[in-house]
Amino acid sequence: MEFESKTVIVTGGAKGLGRGIALELARRGANVIVADIDGESAKSVVTEIKAGGAQSYFCETDVTQQWSTDDMVETALEEFGQLDVLVNNAGVGGSPGFITRKTATVEDWQSTFDVNVFGIVNGTQSVEKYMIDRGYGKIVNIASIAGRTGRAGFATYGASKAAAINVSQAWAFKLAPHGINVNAVCPGMIWTPLWENLAEWRKLTDQQNVGMTPRQVFQRTISELVPLGREQTPEDVGNAVAFLASDRARSITGQALNVDGGIRMN
Amino acid sequence: MNFNGKVAVVTGGATGIGRAIALKLADKGAAVMIADINEKAAETTAAEVKEISGNSAIFVTDVTNVAACEGLSQATIDSIGPADFLVNNAGIAGSPGWQTRSHSTEEDWKQTYQVNVIGVANVTTVFRAQMTERRSGRIVNLSSIAGREGRPSLPHYSASKAAVISLTQSTALELARFNITVNAICPGLLWTPMWEQVGSRYANDVPAYEGMTPRQVFDTMVAEKIPMQKEQTPEDIADTVAFFVSDDAKNITGQTLNVDGGFYMR
Repeated sequence: MEFESKTVIVTGGAKGLGRGIALELARRGANVIVADIDGESAKSVVTEIKAGGAQSYFCETDVTQQWSTDDMVETALEEFGQLDVLVNNAGVGGSPGFITRKTATVEDWQSTFDVNVFGIVNGTQSVEKYMIDRGYGKIVNIASIAGRTGRAGFATYGASKAAAINVSQAWAFKLAPHGINVNAVCPGMIWTPLWENLAEWRKLTDQQNVGMTPRQVFQRTISELVPLGREQTPEDVGNAVAFLASDRARSITGQALNVDGGIRMN
Repeated sequence: MNFNGKVAVVTGGATGIGRAIALKLADKGAAVMIADINEKAAETTAAEVKEISGNSAIFVTDVTNVAACEGLSQATIDSIGPADFLVNNAGIAGSPGWQTRSHSTEEDWKQTYQVNVIGVANVTTVFRAQMTERRSGRIVNLSSIAGREGRPSLPHYSASKAAVISLTQSTALELARFNITVNAICPGLLWTPMWEQVGSRYANDVPAYEGMTPRQVFDTMVAEKIPMQKEQTPEDIADTVAFFVSDDAKNITGQTLNVDGGFYMR
């Protein structure tokens, strides 16, 4: 298996996309550190991974704190002796209650950037010295097609994901001479807890969505936006992450790949 | 990743990047049609493919000739079956003698467009019927980082490769409803016969490279322009083609991925 004896960290690995990525990499043989603030959900992912035959470990991690991501990397090295891949996946749509607000507050901006941007920076800074010393490493950051262009509404999230792409490029340049690849994946329409929240928010901000269930808002958006006509899945994103984190992508760095059924073409 | 029972067509598949793509797809189990203008080289590569996957065919194809493309389509069905994957790789850098000229001639423009752009459209047109009928297919077009932005030399080549990116996006939108994905790859710096000629033209054209051998031009560009400080290889490109045609990429379409060690980030 491609990731046999490799160790990966997936931040935000307890739920949604992160869970899909963690399971996909485990299916390919990786030892997985599930780094999340939500211990209960993370532990159930760990159990699921172990049931599939791979090694896994939960590390309670708050990516907005550098000491916490330092601790996360230390845990990976203690448990598995090496670290090959960091997937910076943890993300939020706003500060608590954002789905009830039509207009983002200062706190929404702050917590979105704290997690979606500084979370990537912290994780990367915690791991880069080890990877540079080793002359090997793969970092994959989860951005979003929302980061490809500004749109009316949800500017907090879009701007933070644009920053995630830019940060990926910055570290790709910095770490390239050391044999470390840094890339981003931009997921499209994926039915996750985050999208469920977003659907609630869209009911507030777009009359056409009133009276629909969150899932109906999601389906409607798919039929309007996705050329391939279907939703994307956490497994799709996990597969793209697996490619970029593998040696098959050894000459790819600084790129952002849309996994979005053709919504945005870059 | 398993392509057992799959049928792939690679234009320009006899040599260079095309050959590496053919061998990689064969390595995963695919039967491969080598479509090339160079019969002798096509036979050699087809024999190599046959050693690996057990099934190959050749068809002498000038992609600028619609009748030849129709012949290729029929010959593929007759010899190895309807195509699952089409890799539009055939390309040129100018009309004969382009590497000795300091300016692009009308013939350079015409012939380059004829092969690099209209050739892709011709071959795609003849294979789309096989794919739309079965509601399944994968098309990968070879563009170039030269198509990502204007360059100080070979404007006809850069413009043709930019057109390939645009054509990829249009075809992706057109074929999405048939469950056919269309993506492009932009290779960076690869030491191929074509690059040897590019190097000699740059040495004539671009003051910074004056008086250098083609290989010196190449090495200088790798050192100056590629963050990973390594040239790319045909195998790097072939690995990315294999990803795009695999099930792992079923929800990726209309995308252009640079395989260039970070030369260009977009």
